[in-house]
Amino acid sequence: MALYDPIREELVKADLAQGSFRVHRDAYRSAEVFEREKEQIFSKCWLYLGHDTELKKKGDFHARRVGGRDLIFIRDKKGEVRAHYNSCTHRAAKVCRERTGNARNFTCPYHGWVFSSEGDLVSQNTQTGYAEGINADGHLDLRSVERLEEYRGFWFVNYNPNAINLYDYLDGARDQIDALCDQTEGQQIILSGEHTYSIRANYKLLCENSYDGYHLFPVHASYFDYLRDQMVGTPGEGLIDKTLQSYNTAGCARALGNGHAVLDSYVPTGRPIAQWLPSMGAGTRPEIEARYASLVRRLGEERAKYIAETQKNLVIFPNLVINDILSVTVRVIEPESENKIRVTAWAMGPDDESEELRALRLDNFVSFLGPAGFGSPDDIEMLEICQDAADHTPIEWSEISKGFGKVENPLYGAGMPDDEIQMQAYWTMWDRVMRGIDTLEKK
Amino acid sequence: MTMTRSEVEDFLFREAELLDGWKTEEWAELYSEDALYEVTSPACEDPLGADARNTLFLVSDRIDRIRGRAKRLTKKTAHAEYPRSKTRHMVSNVRISAGDDGSTKARANFAVFRTKEDTSTVYMGEALFTLVETPEGVRIRHKRCVLDLNSLYNQGRLTIIL
Repeated sequence: MALYDPIREELVKADLAQGSFRVHRDAYRSAEVFEREKEQIFSKCWLYLGHDTELKKKGDFHARRVGGRDLIFIRDKKGEVRAHYNSCTHRAAKVCRERTGNARNFTCPYHGWVFSSEGDLVSQNTQTGYAEGINADGHLDLRSVERLEEYRGFWFVNYNPNAINLYDYLDGARDQIDALCDQTEGQQIILSGEHTYSIRANYKLLCENSYDGYHLFPVHASYFDYLRDQMVGTPGEGLIDKTLQSYNTAGCARALGNGHAVLDSYVPTGRPIAQWLPSMGAGTRPEIEARYASLVRRLGEERAKYIAETQKNLVIFPNLVINDILSVTVRVIEPESENKIRVTAWAMGPDDESEELRALRLDNFVSFLGPAGFGSPDDIEMLEICQDAADHTPIEWSEISKGFGKVENPLYGAGMPDDEIQMQAYWTMWDRVMRGIDTLEKK
Repeated sequence: MTMTRSEVEDFLFREAELLDGWKTEEWAELYSEDALYEVTSPACEDPLGADARNTLFLVSDRIDRIRGRAKRLTKKTAHAEYPRSKTRHMVSNVRISAGDDGSTKARANFAVFRTKEDTSTVYMGEALFTLVETPEGVRIRHKRCVLDLNSLYNQGRLTIIL
């Protein structure tokens, strides 16, 4: 495949006058482009590591691969959250071979070096042969990730020590995280369990799909059939078609700066946060109405309505998806090559909701989301046939023009729910970072 | 205890046969009105004790969704299973014990092979059943599948019924 040379070849072509926005398919299928993405995108952007509530107790840890690098996400024995590279400073072996657990120390299985939860080298398993003070400068301690910052419980890493801070990087996406966190007077937490699976597709195909309003009817027809069947003979009958008729006009797609964007839409699935539907059962109604009242009291009517009723599909550039829809999922996309990804997804919910609402939230989740739901697998099939066809046909360009040309700066554009302005924002940022126009570094 | 092991085996083999024949709506008829069909997530710390009301599962279907799943899989618009994969359900090591209210508990090892396009994968694990006898015949009240996996990394997804 063609080598991407940022000087002489464009992979993203935008022509405002013609309303044309195109992405060269080498951006999805070229190993050379992926190598460059590792240097430019995954070494310079903020990458999601995990959520604060996944580390409940001191010593709790998760071993994770983030942007191709193996890390230990841990709350140390003093309570501070840290990210260490999972590699012994002696001869490289992984010091942590469990996916999750609780530890005061990590002992390298190879030669017995011991590191504290803070990362300090506390034993070399021998008293002999080493010069006095060989670790005086700390170079034999577990290596910490260059940057580790959080916003409202969401922890991110950045491998560029000079990167702008996370707060600025998130830009307009902060407001979306606020809308999620403000759902509760308590705290949003990662719920027990996770979905981990792979997809034979480029990571950007899943980003595009995660907030694509245009694909809803062709891809998810069988899910809407199922919803209709469920509502036959209930007060919700007819609601599906009524709401779906206005889908393309009722919401919007909005770019949030730095390549982040959200799709705001209205789909009649019901939402355990403050939008009750008859299909959710009469027993849950009082609690949901009380939650709505709390939103109004704390945030005002307009914001309450937005938080409660709008389905929000958010992509934080380059590889984090937070879908606050019929349930909330936090989904991180780890690229392994130009055509293979590992996906890890969690369910999120307020810590102060009742058992009934929690059950409903998780039931909603598995009805549509995840590798066995009635929605996500059909999305995955689409991504895999896109990748397969891009890999095996000579066609050069993908067309992502819908809704293009309304704004000067695609990084802050807005359009209809079934437009593609969210993807235009993503690709504009991608192109700028790949070319080094945006360095995402402190001035 | 109301069922013998060979009766249970015959029943489970029948279930497997319906699934391999893609007779999914006939398969759904094997389930009682109060049925629950579950597949725990491979990451689940306590797959035997876990409750889908507070832990994320892969599948947790009551009878409405069992029927919905069965029906959806008959459609061309269930894209993930179109063209349909080929499956082979192997059921073995069946052990039975008495359950409450005259029901029969059964545990069985399973391996389900799935071929989609040119790729074959396997879902292996243990299934736990509660079987009840009704005037219409034996019905499954509860089936929980526990996969011997750490993720669906090799399988990608679970769009067939185990």
